[in-house]
Amino acid sequence: MTAHTNLFCLYIILPLAGAFLAALIGERSRKMLSLLVIITTLGEFLTALGLVSVVNHDGPLVYLTGVGKSFLGITMVLDGLSVFMAVIISFIAFLVAVYSVNYMERYTSVWKFDALFLFMVAGMNGVIMTADIFNLYVFLEIASLASIALIAFGVKRPQFEAAFKYAILSILGSFFVLLAIALLYKFTSTLNMAQMAVVFAYKGQTNIGLMISVLFMMGFGLKAALVPFHAWLPDAHPQAPAPVSAMLSGVLIKALGFYTLCRIFFNVIGVSPHILGVFMFLGVLSMLVGGILAVGQWDMKRLWACSSISNMGFIFFGIGLGTPLGILGAVFHVFNHALIKSQLFLNAGAVEYATGTRDLRELGGLSEKMPVTSATGFIAAMAGAGMPPFNGFWSKFMIIVAAIQAGQIGYAVCGLIASLFLLGAILKVIRLGFQGPLKAHLMGIKEVPILMRIPMEILALGCVLGVLLLFGPIRVHYLDPAVGVIMHGKNYMFLVLRHLI
Amino acid sequence: MSVLGSMFKLTTFSFFVGVFIIFFTLVVLLYSLGSMRGQKNLPQYYFYIILTMLSALGVVLANDLLILLVFWGFLGVLLYLLISFGQKERTSQTAKKALMIVAGTDLLMILGIGLVWRLVGTLEMDKVHILLTSPTALVAYLCFVMAAFAKAGAMPFHTWIPDTAVDAPVSVAAFLPASLDKLLGIYFLARVTLDIFHMNHFTNTFLMAMGSLTIIFAVMMALVQHDLKKLLGYHAVSQVGYMVLGLGTGNPVGIAGGLFHMLNHAIYKSCLFLSAGVVEKKAGTTDLDKLGGLAQTMPVIFISFLIASLAISGVPPLNGFASKWMIYSGIIQTAKGSGHLWILWLMSAMFGSALTLASFMKLVHAVFLGQPFKEIPRTQTPVSMWFPVLLLASLCVVYGVFSKLPLKVFILPSLGQHVVFGGVWNSYAAFLLLLSGLFIGLVIFLLGKKNSKRLTAPFVGGEDLSQYPEMRISGTQFYRTIEDMVFLKKVYALAEQKVFDIYDVIKRIAHQSFKVLSRLHNGILPTYMAWCLLGMIVLFYVLIK
Repeated sequence: MTAHTNLFCLYIILPLAGAFLAALIGERSRKMLSLLVIITTLGEFLTALGLVSVVNHDGPLVYLTGVGKSFLGITMVLDGLSVFMAVIISFIAFLVAVYSVNYMERYTSVWKFDALFLFMVAGMNGVIMTADIFNLYVFLEIASLASIALIAFGVKRPQFEAAFKYAILSILGSFFVLLAIALLYKFTSTLNMAQMAVVFAYKGQTNIGLMISVLFMMGFGLKAALVPFHAWLPDAHPQAPAPVSAMLSGVLIKALGFYTLCRIFFNVIGVSPHILGVFMFLGVLSMLVGGILAVGQWDMKRLWACSSISNMGFIFFGIGLGTPLGILGAVFHVFNHALIKSQLFLNAGAVEYATGTRDLRELGGLSEKMPVTSATGFIAAMAGAGMPPFNGFWSKFMIIVAAIQAGQIGYAVCGLIASLFLLGAILKVIRLGFQGPLKAHLMGIKEVPILMRIPMEILALGCVLGVLLLFGPIRVHYLDPAVGVIMHGKNYMFLVLRHLI
Repeated sequence: MSVLGSMFKLTTFSFFVGVFIIFFTLVVLLYSLGSMRGQKNLPQYYFYIILTMLSALGVVLANDLLILLVFWGFLGVLLYLLISFGQKERTSQTAKKALMIVAGTDLLMILGIGLVWRLVGTLEMDKVHILLTSPTALVAYLCFVMAAFAKAGAMPFHTWIPDTAVDAPVSVAAFLPASLDKLLGIYFLARVTLDIFHMNHFTNTFLMAMGSLTIIFAVMMALVQHDLKKLLGYHAVSQVGYMVLGLGTGNPVGIAGGLFHMLNHAIYKSCLFLSAGVVEKKAGTTDLDKLGGLAQTMPVIFISFLIASLAISGVPPLNGFASKWMIYSGIIQTAKGSGHLWILWLMSAMFGSALTLASFMKLVHAVFLGQPFKEIPRTQTPVSMWFPVLLLASLCVVYGVFSKLPLKVFILPSLGQHVVFGGVWNSYAAFLLLLSGLFIGLVIFLLGKKNSKRLTAPFVGGEDLSQYPEMRISGTQFYRTIEDMVFLKKVYALAEQKVFDIYDVIKRIAHQSFKVLSRLHNGILPTYMAWCLLGMIVLFYVLIK
């Protein structure tokens, strides 16, 4: 056990500690609260960057809690996929923390917000690092419950309604996950995911395995907002405060949905062409439904939320192809979409902050008064629409080309149609929100404060430079390991078992 | 360097197009100094223009289809940004429409690239040679053709051009839809048609049919327009038809003619747009009913506009005639190969040319001749505005009279094939044909005169003309009879409802499907739960059956 391995468990403990500290500070000092959250998330981000190099240098890390080398303790694993997600989570969390300093000024009980926010981050960090399936469930619930409370943070009727819907559906999903875990435990007599993988590899495909697969697909698919389990998302994401929406759409659905499904199916249960086919189909369905839903929205944030459904569809479409290019495209799209969608939600937040509304019918001509907001919003929107040379183009292009290579030309055409819908929806926001003459009642608006502008600028810059991830050492050290974990699913069990036995 | 070498490649063709991209950028930059003066965000405007030039150069220099796609797609974004500089009421709608159509076909290009990769495993354009034998290859080819059509503005992806012409700043209309996008669209069409795919009879016929359709439909639309810039916009569509037709002939003369026409069109169309910009700046409107008699106040612009109008109508000895002549002979040469369809293509090309001339007669009359609608103040037009117009107009003359020059320097080397000019000269036959043409014309004239007698109140003279609006003959009335023909009336009515506008059709489909889906998303929690459970049951059935 080296110093590094201790370090990576701190990664989960840090935000948890931050959450408790935030509760201790309470109402005493808002400045200290902001500082605490920023320092915590920045520390997380720097740690995550350090972990990338550690994982590349020393290989994946395994940490055993509790009773030493046995299957009874909880095992923590940090491999390419985990570290990939960790960087995204902490990066977005850091920017969101900076952004929320000014944005949350108008709310009361900010310490509750900060504590819940850090709990959510801690929950996601736990999900992506644990190798114990019940532990995964616990962290999943921490993140979900924190997010439910955060959605209701506005404490008005629409927020409560959205939070209630989200709570019921989210718990429905969690319930089926728990059911699947119980069945898994019955089937494999262990909770350690690596050991389960051994049992699945040994027993081959069984009906109980398929049943567990379906339950997981539904449970985690609900967290990932795959159609037809998506209906909570267009209600829930827009109602949260903008920084939370950015976290939810940018990161949470990926940590709780994308990551868990990849981990469970590729590393534990093992994928068959059938399951990949289902992923692909659900992905294509989500792309189309999300895209079409986005076209007709008038609420800026609701429109972005619908486009999130569509983008999750793209990610699962890429994963479902099962080819190296498809998976690389999907993994890259996870990264890109995290940047794009958090930027767009922060942007919508900035518009709401300045104008007091996010209804596109009441907006117009904002680019005159809010040049930074509209420029960064335009870049992220173009990236989200998949226009070259922004980052969203490259990952979508890879997924479409991978689909054509794999012979799924019909699905590829569906992806292109969905892109067209998304483009239309995105241009609707740009056109009605930012272009044209300034509306009379908006004459007095001002650009948002600098702490809100900086995160948006950084994210927009990320959208422009995102393509660099595909070249040189960044790809080798950051994207390829994550793809490797998914492509070579069986390595996971060897890796963990080597440390356990 | 080897990576870069496989990504970019300078061929004589890309050199030719690149030179003119730079030329038109300089012309437009010069013109913008005058026309954009006093507008907001000027640094951004010039930045976008320069970026557009660089991306366009990127497109022509790219040797890798992916690199080409990146620059090509980025041009769409820049087009959107540049159109948004317009100050018209519908500018933002038009910008959206333009980007939707251009980017929508970029998506087709992605599909095409994917299919090419599936077929040959490389995207380097000088290594890809595909026979159009399999359906996959044909689909890939059509995808590329659609992308080129949308950029150049051929039917059915033309509808963004007339709108852009009206709503964008005139320098942008002259820069992108009139010159650069034509150069790039036809460049790409030529690369795809000549280099990447090996054409067959079917695809040649397809191109020629699309070209002919574009010529006729767009020119018919142009005839009935009442707005100077919109009319020019429809001609920018119609002329693409000639280029496509030329490339579709598949023989060196036709192709060289198509490419030459691409160059000529960019010259005279940007000249026309830039003149229209001067007119708009002076008269404050582009509505043909409110213009007239401007020849006195702006003689330089009038002469340039007249030259460019005659050039676009294919009147010798201007450049439009030279390239159209080559396209005609290209079409006639296809007659050797097959069928009698060539007569149809030739007729539509020539008829289209005649209609172009007709609509420009109307335009020149309505804008520059006749009675002025109101007094135009005699202000000085800045040099930076009239000089580019004059320069382009003189280029029309030079490239017409000395048409061998651009052909030798730019076009024939890019083609790399030996071009044989067809045709015979028989002065006796030509004389007879001319004579009979004049005779037929005379007969028609006399017949028309015999049947119609008009009674009007005597006009004594000395009246105040503004008291008699019917005495002011605006050019817009010239072709009213066409609008009133039974069949055409219906077509025009449909066009008015945007039935032929692919953007509106798709928009309607999208909104219909949204309505269906939003009915399903009723916001009731039990419904959503039911979906989740139903979804799970379906998954059970699919996986465990």
